[in-house]
Amino acid sequence: MRLTRGGALPQAPLGRLAIQFGFAFAAAMIAIGLIGFGVADHWVSRRIDRSLAYHADKYVSRVRNDPAADQHLRAAIDEWQHRKVLSERTYVLFDRHGRRIAGRLDIAPPPPGFSSVRFTGGGRHLEEGRALAKTLPGGGLFVVVQHSEAAEGLHAILPTAVVAICLVALLLGVSATLLFARLTARRLAETQAAASAIAAGDLSRRIATDRLDGMFAVQAESLNRMLDHMEDLVRAQQLFSSNLAHDLRTPLMRLRSLLDAASRDDRAAIAPLVERAERECSSIIAIFDALLRLAEIETGQHPTAMAPVALRPLLEDIADTMEPVLADRGGGLDIGHMAPVTVIGDPDLLSQLLINLLENVATHTPPGTRVTLSLERGGEDAVITVRDDGPGMASVEFARVTRPFERGAAASDRRGSGLGLAIASAIARFHQGHLTLVDAAPGLAVRISLPAVEPSVRRDAMAALQTA
Amino acid sequence: MHVLIVEDDQVIADHIVSGLGHVGYQATLARSGAEAIKAWAAGSHQAVVLDRMLPDIDGMAVIDHLRAGGADVPVLMLSALGSVKNRIEGLRRGADDYLAKPFSIDELAARLEAIVRRASQRGGRSGLSIGMLALDASSLRATYRGAAATLNRKQYSLLAHLMGHADTIVTRAMLLEAVWSYSFSTATNIVESNMSRLRTALQEIGCDPIETRRGAGYVLRSDRCA
Repeated sequence: MRLTRGGALPQAPLGRLAIQFGFAFAAAMIAIGLIGFGVADHWVSRRIDRSLAYHADKYVSRVRNDPAADQHLRAAIDEWQHRKVLSERTYVLFDRHGRRIAGRLDIAPPPPGFSSVRFTGGGRHLEEGRALAKTLPGGGLFVVVQHSEAAEGLHAILPTAVVAICLVALLLGVSATLLFARLTARRLAETQAAASAIAAGDLSRRIATDRLDGMFAVQAESLNRMLDHMEDLVRAQQLFSSNLAHDLRTPLMRLRSLLDAASRDDRAAIAPLVERAERECSSIIAIFDALLRLAEIETGQHPTAMAPVALRPLLEDIADTMEPVLADRGGGLDIGHMAPVTVIGDPDLLSQLLINLLENVATHTPPGTRVTLSLERGGEDAVITVRDDGPGMASVEFARVTRPFERGAAASDRRGSGLGLAIASAIARFHQGHLTLVDAAPGLAVRISLPAVEPSVRRDAMAALQTA
Repeated sequence: MHVLIVEDDQVIADHIVSGLGHVGYQATLARSGAEAIKAWAAGSHQAVVLDRMLPDIDGMAVIDHLRAGGADVPVLMLSALGSVKNRIEGLRRGADDYLAKPFSIDELAARLEAIVRRASQRGGRSGLSIGMLALDASSLRATYRGAAATLNRKQYSLLAHLMGHADTIVTRAMLLEAVWSYSFSTATNIVESNMSRLRTALQEIGCDPIETRRGAGYVLRSDRCA
C-alpha cells in the first residue's frame, strides 16, 4: 500500500459491507416491529373478546329460560339505545328467521360465536368490528358488536409504520456500519502504517499501542512481538551472509593469486602452486560442506539413527582418535571421570559434536595445550565436559562464538570454517540438550548437557521415538 | 578396465575421461540416461560412473534399469547433491559408492578401483594376513616374523582396511568413511595422525608396508610384507 502525501493512509472503500450490514439491521428492525404489532393486536383483540363475552352474558343470562326472551331483549336494547348516545359497543337482535328486530346496526346475522363484521359507520366509510353472537332459546340471535378504534388504527398505520421503520433502520444500519468501519480503520491505521514502513525497509518500526485498547491492543502487541522476532532473524541472516562472503573472500583471493602466478611461472614452478590452489579449493569446499551440515541439522533433514547411545565407549573412541592429533601439536588428551551414562541420540552427530570441540582446541589454542574429556551424571542429564588449559576466552564472547562464522579473538587470524561451535551447538539442541561455555581459569570448558535415560526406560524412550 | 562414464556436463565429462585415461582406464562416455542404457547394452563395461542428475532420465532410473536387467556391475554415483540424506538415497537405490561434486580425479579413481575389487571378491574374503604380516582381531595385535605390536581399536581398523585393499590407493576420505564412519569432513589431520602412530607401531616390529602417496592417499604394499 502506498503512503499518500503527508503520511495519511488512503481509506479502503467499504464496498458491500455497509449495504449488507444496513439491510441486515433493517430486516432485524422490521421483524421486531412486526412481532410488536402482532403482540399488540393480539392483546387488543383479547380485551375486546373479553368485553363482548361479559356484555353478552349480562343480557342473555337474564332471559336464559324465558320463552319471551326476544321481547325482553328487544326492550332492553331499545332502552340501552335510548340511554347511550355514544359507545363503541352496540347490540343487534335477530328473530329466528334472521330478520333484525332490534338494534341500529345494519349487518347480516353472523355465525354463533366470535367473528369479524363489516358495517357502514354513520353512513360514512366501511368499518370493521368484532362480534359475539349467541343463539336464544326461541331460535333468535343476540349479537354484541364492538368497534375498537385502537385496533382499527393499529391496522391502519401498519403499512406506513413498516416502511418507515425499514427506511430508518436501513439508514441507521448503514450509518452505524460506516461509523464502526471508520473507527476500526482508525485503529488499524497504525498497523497499516507500520506494515508499509517495514515493507519500505524500516525493520525497526513498531505499532504504537498507547491509543489502542481491547483486541486491537492485543493484536498490535502480538504483531510487535512477531516483528521483533523477524527483525532478529533478518539481522542474523544479514550478518550470516556478510560473514560468509567475508570468509570466502580470503580463500578465493588466494586461489586467484595462485592461478595468476601459475599462468606466469614456468612449468617447473607450477606443481607447488597447483597443490596450494587445491588446498584453497578444499577449504572453500569445507566451508560449504559445513554449511550444508549445519542446515541439515537445524532443519531436521539429517537422517538420524536415533538409538540409545552409551556415551562412555563413544567418548573413549573419540579419545583414541583425537589423542594422536593433539599429541602431534605438542599437547595431549586425558580421560577424566567417566560415568556410565546413556542418552538417546545419533552416534554420528554426537561424534561430530565432540570432534568439532577437540579440533577447536587443536586448531585455536597454542601448542602444548592439553584437554581433559570427562563424563558425569548431573541430575537428569549426562554432562560431557571438554576442558582445556589454554588461554581461554573472555566470557562476553561466549554467546557470540556459538553463532555461525563468529570466531573468538584467539581464532580470528586462523583458518577454519568458523562453523564448528555453531554445528556443535545445533547438535546439542537437536538432542534436546544444550552447550555452554564456562571459564575454566585457566582455559576454557565446554559443557554439553544431554537428557540421560535409565537403562530400564530405554525401551520406552525408543518406543516414544518411533511413534514421534 | 573399461568404464562407462555417464555425465552430461562437457567439462566434467572430459576431466573424468582424461583423468581415468591417465591411470589406465578405458572410458566410454554417455551424455544422457538413454545414451547410457544404449552404451551399456552395446559394450562390456566393468564399472559405471553415473551422474545423478541427467537431462532426460534421472541417474536413479538408470540404476533401476541396470539392476532390473540383472547387471551387478559396480556403480559409482556422482552428484552435486552431497548431503548425508542424498548419499543414503543413492546407496539404497543400488549404487556401490557415492561421491559428491566437487571431487578430485584421484579420489574417483581410488573409489572406482575399490568397488571393482570388492565386486570381484564377493563371496569370499581373504583373511587378515598378507605375507608375514598378520592381524589378530581378538587381541588387537599385529604380528610380523614373531614380533608383535598391540594396537588400539582405530589403528587396528586402519591396518585391517589397508590390508583388505592391499596394493591399491586408499584415500583419506575413504579411510574416514570406512574406519571412523564419519559422514562429516574434519578440520584436522585425523587420518594422518593416526596413520603415523600405526606406522610407528609397525616399524617397531620391523615391518613398514605403508606408503604415502602425496596428495592421493595410502597404499599398503604386499611386497613389503614378505
